[in-house]
Amino acid sequence: MRKQWGLLAVFFGVALVASVFGSNFLSGYNLENLTNRTALFSILALGAGIVIAVGGIDLSIGSVVCLCGIATPWLLVEHGWPAWQVVPVVLGMAAAIGLMHGLLITKLRLQPFLVTLCGLLLYRGLARWVTGDQSQGFAGEFDGLRSLALGRIPVPFIEGYRIPATVIPLAVLAVGTSLVLTRTVWGRWLLATGSNESAARISGVPTQRLTIAAYVACSLLAGLGGMLFIFDIGSAQPSDFGNFYELYAIAAAVLGGCSLRGGRASVGGIVLGTATLQVLRNAIILLGLSSQLEFAVIGAVLLLGMTADELLLRWRERRAERRAPSG
Amino acid sequence: MIHAILASLVLAAAPAATLHAASPADRAALLAAQKARVTEMAKAPKASPHLAFVSNGVADFWTIAKAGALAAGRDLKCQVTVEFPGAGLSDQKRMLEDLVTRGIDGVSVSPIDPKNQREVLDLIAERSLLITNDSDAPEAPRLAYIGMDNYLAGRKCGELARAGLPGGGEVAIFIGRLEQDNAKRRWQGFVDGLLGRSVDATRRDDHTKPFTEAGYTILGTWTDSFDRAKAKANVEDVMTRNPGLDLVTGLFEYNSVLALEVFKQAGKAGTIKIAGFDEGAEVIEGIREGSVLGTVVQDPYGYGYQSIVLLHALTQGKLEALPASGEIAIPARTITKENVDAFWSDLKAKLAAGKAVK
Repeated sequence: MRKQWGLLAVFFGVALVASVFGSNFLSGYNLENLTNRTALFSILALGAGIVIAVGGIDLSIGSVVCLCGIATPWLLVEHGWPAWQVVPVVLGMAAAIGLMHGLLITKLRLQPFLVTLCGLLLYRGLARWVTGDQSQGFAGEFDGLRSLALGRIPVPFIEGYRIPATVIPLAVLAVGTSLVLTRTVWGRWLLATGSNESAARISGVPTQRLTIAAYVACSLLAGLGGMLFIFDIGSAQPSDFGNFYELYAIAAAVLGGCSLRGGRASVGGIVLGTATLQVLRNAIILLGLSSQLEFAVIGAVLLLGMTADELLLRWRERRAERRAPSG
Repeated sequence: MIHAILASLVLAAAPAATLHAASPADRAALLAAQKARVTEMAKAPKASPHLAFVSNGVADFWTIAKAGALAAGRDLKCQVTVEFPGAGLSDQKRMLEDLVTRGIDGVSVSPIDPKNQREVLDLIAERSLLITNDSDAPEAPRLAYIGMDNYLAGRKCGELARAGLPGGGEVAIFIGRLEQDNAKRRWQGFVDGLLGRSVDATRRDDHTKPFTEAGYTILGTWTDSFDRAKAKANVEDVMTRNPGLDLVTGLFEYNSVLALEVFKQAGKAGTIKIAGFDEGAEVIEGIREGSVLGTVVQDPYGYGYQSIVLLHALTQGKLEALPASGEIAIPARTITKENVDAFWSDLKAKLAAGKAVK
């Protein structure tokens, strides 16, 4: 839990600065946009968090976003497939990618870093080859399907703010993941696998099956995220769609309390980590800072938050040591 | 076995190492050497020369250019290789070096950063024939440039915006990136056209700061490094920050497409005006509906086709094919409600041709 307090302080600190010095930060339209971006990136970060919790890493998230996102309009528009076939086929493809990662990592004992790095190259390359580098879009059609991302649900008694439709899949996934992690034996086993794989295996935990399941979940979420992203932006170019999204997802998960050493995850922290990154990016424009400064500001603020957090933790530990009875 | 592999690797690396060591001969000497090579070729013209067309990135624009280059290759019965560097400057350098290593007879390239690509452009001029397309490198030893003047095209877009917003107002500029020469020139052209300034391609305004002139306030320029989610977020955030926003321009194809998307979602399509660049399908539809003022389009098919035609003529020893000015102008056109339908049907035919030669 410790990381969330520091992150919460950064989140509210940035929001406060943006609302005092920026223009219209608290307007319904801006909050609506921020909610939508947070929901979209959180879906990817949830997947990254699950894999990190089991002690792995997935660098192919951005490329799976690209392949699944590009495949959706490619099948719908170019090949005329009906939506009820496209959605399960694309999600099935994402799950198959995750299954392949999981099997290579557990059965062949290949390093997760390498397997998913190869995936990063492979899936983007496939997307570029299949489409001939032609950008793919919905050509003004499929508004019904696109409303899964573009839809807005009015909130009674609140003027100007509507809940983006992307919040629904995020809420379902976040609550589901949180329940699995905290309330089921599978969740505890998953964290135990990430904490100490050998100890968990000796204790009878099916570590390989859990690791495979984590990679399937991660790719499935990336695939779903890819679909929602392309529903949101309407068209995408395979050479750049989803580039570096794995870094945003991993950064948000780690900021939100997932340990890269495995064994620790917090769904609330992951969503908060994503929200902090999105609020930072938004604040830079609303404060009128040069967009060239964006990465520098994000890096500096997060580094500051994490350093303060670590110093606070050490201070608490020292205080606890002093209070503990000696001998 | 290992020794044999190592030896073959060393042998394979040897010609590349020699190429890298090419001395930076001066432009005039390299131009003269290429022309002398063309004259020499007249004595024994190659039946099927191998020519290359290299883009500065991956985009639909380049897919149309590729169709043009391949169509010319088919018409002239020569071998054409088309390369799209997907990872920027280093990728383009690697592709160009590899083409030279393969013994390419002529290269048409859209250099990403000509000032810092002197070495590789000199290398092509030394070993092959160099022409540029889309984005020029006037200081490089290129025999010709095929394309439009990005400054003048930017001006057309600026003039389109000025005509749509004659009383002045708040304007925001969105562009994928500003590093490359054509983007900088296009940006400056837009600003000069909007503000009704005189034609001066050497003028340089500071794009990092907002400024007001002639009744127009340029709020700023936002880049996205080709991340479309970011490009969309940029438009949303700029609209949030500036409720009085009157007009936006997207100087790369998808920027205007996404601006239109954002305005439609916010119920502001047509209220906030858009001056577009390139031919995004949604922008074309927006012009028909009246929610986009118009768009400035290039002729990428022509860039591809004319590049191969010129390089082929040179490999046949026809030095007279070189334009006296060093430039073959394929000017940009402004597409508005009046000519949008004719333009679109012509483009669709070219896109179909592009798919056929994929």
